[in-house]
Amino acid sequence: MKTLFLAITAAGVLAAQSGADWTTYHGSYNSIHHSTLNQLHPGNVKDLEIKWAWQAQSLEKFETTPLVAGGVMYITEAPNNIIALDPATGREYWVYEHKLPEVTYPCCGKVNRGLAIANGTLYMGTLDMKLVAVDAATGQKKWETKVGDYEKGYALAHAPLVIKDKVIVGTAGGELGIRGYLAAYDAKTGEQIWKFKTIPEPGEPGNETWGGDSWKYGGGSIWLTGSYDPELNLTYWGIGNPGPDWNPAVRPGDNLYTDSVIALDPDSGKLKWHFQFTPHDEWDWDAVQTPVLVDREWKGRQRKLMLWANRNGFYYVLDRANGEFLHGTPFVKQTWAEKLDAKGRPVKVPGKGPSAQGTLTYPGVQGGTNWFAPSFHPGTNLFYLNTWDDYWSLYFAWDQKYEQGKWYVGGGVKADLAPTRRSRLNRRDPKAGYGAVRALNWSTGEKVWEFRMGDVSEGGLLTTASNLLISGNREGHFFVLDARDGRLLFRKYLGGQTAASPITYMVDGKQYISLAIGHTLFTLGLRE
Amino acid sequence: MWIRIIPFLATGILAAQHSTTKLGNPYATPDDRMEGAVAFRSQCASCHGPDGKGGAGGPDLSRGQFKTAVSDEAMFRVITKGVPGTTMPGFALNGKSAWQIVTYIRGLNAQSGPAPGDAQRGSALFTELKCGGCHTRGAPRLDDAAARLTRAELRQALVDPNAQVAPEYWRWRGTLSDGSSVEGRRLNEDTFSVQILARDGRLRTLTRDRIRASELEQRSPMPSFSQKLNGQDLDHMVAYLESLRGESK
Repeated sequence: MKTLFLAITAAGVLAAQSGADWTTYHGSYNSIHHSTLNQLHPGNVKDLEIKWAWQAQSLEKFETTPLVAGGVMYITEAPNNIIALDPATGREYWVYEHKLPEVTYPCCGKVNRGLAIANGTLYMGTLDMKLVAVDAATGQKKWETKVGDYEKGYALAHAPLVIKDKVIVGTAGGELGIRGYLAAYDAKTGEQIWKFKTIPEPGEPGNETWGGDSWKYGGGSIWLTGSYDPELNLTYWGIGNPGPDWNPAVRPGDNLYTDSVIALDPDSGKLKWHFQFTPHDEWDWDAVQTPVLVDREWKGRQRKLMLWANRNGFYYVLDRANGEFLHGTPFVKQTWAEKLDAKGRPVKVPGKGPSAQGTLTYPGVQGGTNWFAPSFHPGTNLFYLNTWDDYWSLYFAWDQKYEQGKWYVGGGVKADLAPTRRSRLNRRDPKAGYGAVRALNWSTGEKVWEFRMGDVSEGGLLTTASNLLISGNREGHFFVLDARDGRLLFRKYLGGQTAASPITYMVDGKQYISLAIGHTLFTLGLRE
Repeated sequence: MWIRIIPFLATGILAAQHSTTKLGNPYATPDDRMEGAVAFRSQCASCHGPDGKGGAGGPDLSRGQFKTAVSDEAMFRVITKGVPGTTMPGFALNGKSAWQIVTYIRGLNAQSGPAPGDAQRGSALFTELKCGGCHTRGAPRLDDAAARLTRAELRQALVDPNAQVAPEYWRWRGTLSDGSSVEGRRLNEDTFSVQILARDGRLRTLTRDRIRASELEQRSPMPSFSQKLNGQDLDHMVAYLESLRGESK
């Protein structure tokens, strides 16, 4: 009976984000970043106003995506604080502070992307490789467990995922010669239940895809939350780049399971299938994107699908029951692959990998898209994503030996378009490429409309049943588009870069939108 | 022996983070610079470029202009602690290696040998040609010219000013929906607007819904001095500009 109850609850979450709350990083197990709320709609969003603003004290990049559960909002503040807020006013109930050692080893900023919650307990991964469980009512620590050794370059940056009685979390550190893994912990005690290694060791299937000892520092990090299908009982996670990033000569082979999506049984951690987007990656194109799960008819048959716009510039449709490749097409300018073959494996263009003198290849190092959330709208049948188009990087390679705790990347990149804008002024060369929110036909990957911006964006996307598309960009704008045609419905300059996803929720009969912009969490609602 | 102790103390003090004593770089020999170059390549070049002139993520370190690393001590801190709010992490290097990287980066901006010209004669030419007329009113200030441009770039800027125009000096021209024309230096832009310093000296924000057509010109209004200055005079001018490093006197 208990099992049946859990299955129904899980399926409810999978169907869509329902009700007033936002209870997982992606809003629902299927990770479509879509809300059924419709109090806000194209006819009234012009009356949005800021209801409250919560200012972080940390100057680190503010990448949190809030949770709202049981009438309380929970956020993380970089590097590893948890704050409980009143979602109607922004006033704090409590603050939990995790003390970090003086030096930790995140590759690219002391960031945290959010939390998981289940049965009155919050779960957070930390930069010093701890998984922490905190009472959601009192803010007091319940338990803390060591996930790995941060001094070897490991870190936890993404929001954990709770499936049944387990908390699942994966390790960052792909630029520091780690060997990544995903691990599950007992939600009540913190005891480790299983561990899946993203770089197979000798004797394990897949190790033969690593020449010599290259598997020892092979990378394969995980820094974004995965998805879950309760009916198939499979959890899906995107795996990061192989290491060293830009010197592929030292790691001959396909380098499994880097740049892949893996499907695991969440009870045992056993691999059911994998699909590798970029075998033997030469450009640092982590497959760290959101696994978007949809059920749709494919060639006359209802199928359980996975939609995936990859950093390598291709859009994929997979069968998520078995990993079968169904369709793939470029969604931005790319020069590294002639095509995908019948199995979805790229046929590489020779000479596009890194070199001593630098090789110019499209897309650039941040890819055609990256970790920021896409959205799927079951009503419009469109797949929405933030694209970085028509831009390149010069990829360099050189020899480098591994040293513990130090960068192990074997090369570098140059590009006119910076991954993170350094100047507050946008004096971009228009020829350096552009950013656009784009709507794709989910089955073909063809562009239906786009909303071009003055800069690229790391903002996640959110759609609603009432046909709103909500986001913020790195210019500092919060904006709402009509999800059907890309028409601008509302905008407000809030003055900071967005590198997080918006959420929407209801409190006391009123719908709100929250989004981290700059170092502030802004919450908007209708003017009264 | 004390040579060994001082760097140890220096890094120890830095770790305490409360020192008010300004520290020198204890590892600044040519050998340290070479060691620093090796460490830079493995730990820094992936973001800052193999030549330190900037990469896909990290800024150009070769100009001698730093937002945060205003002193050697500050640069040491940036390397070992990172810069909050950016993608610059703290690096797990021992103190010696971090100081050697400081030495290497400081050396990126050093000119190779003394300039061939006479800076005093260059200064006289600068006055004679009335360069200050523009370069104190809108055109790039030159009091830190040598900190921004290499010797070769200074010479190129004199003979071919259009070869490399910094984005902050690109010209924007537009026709507005009422038919009027606007021109000025582009200061900033985004999805919804362009901001300029107009020719009449006004700061203006032009929303894109009012702009009928526009172009961005990467040309300098500065004339070429290739005909006005002979080779020797060019050397003098470059020597003078190279003496302007933006340091307070």
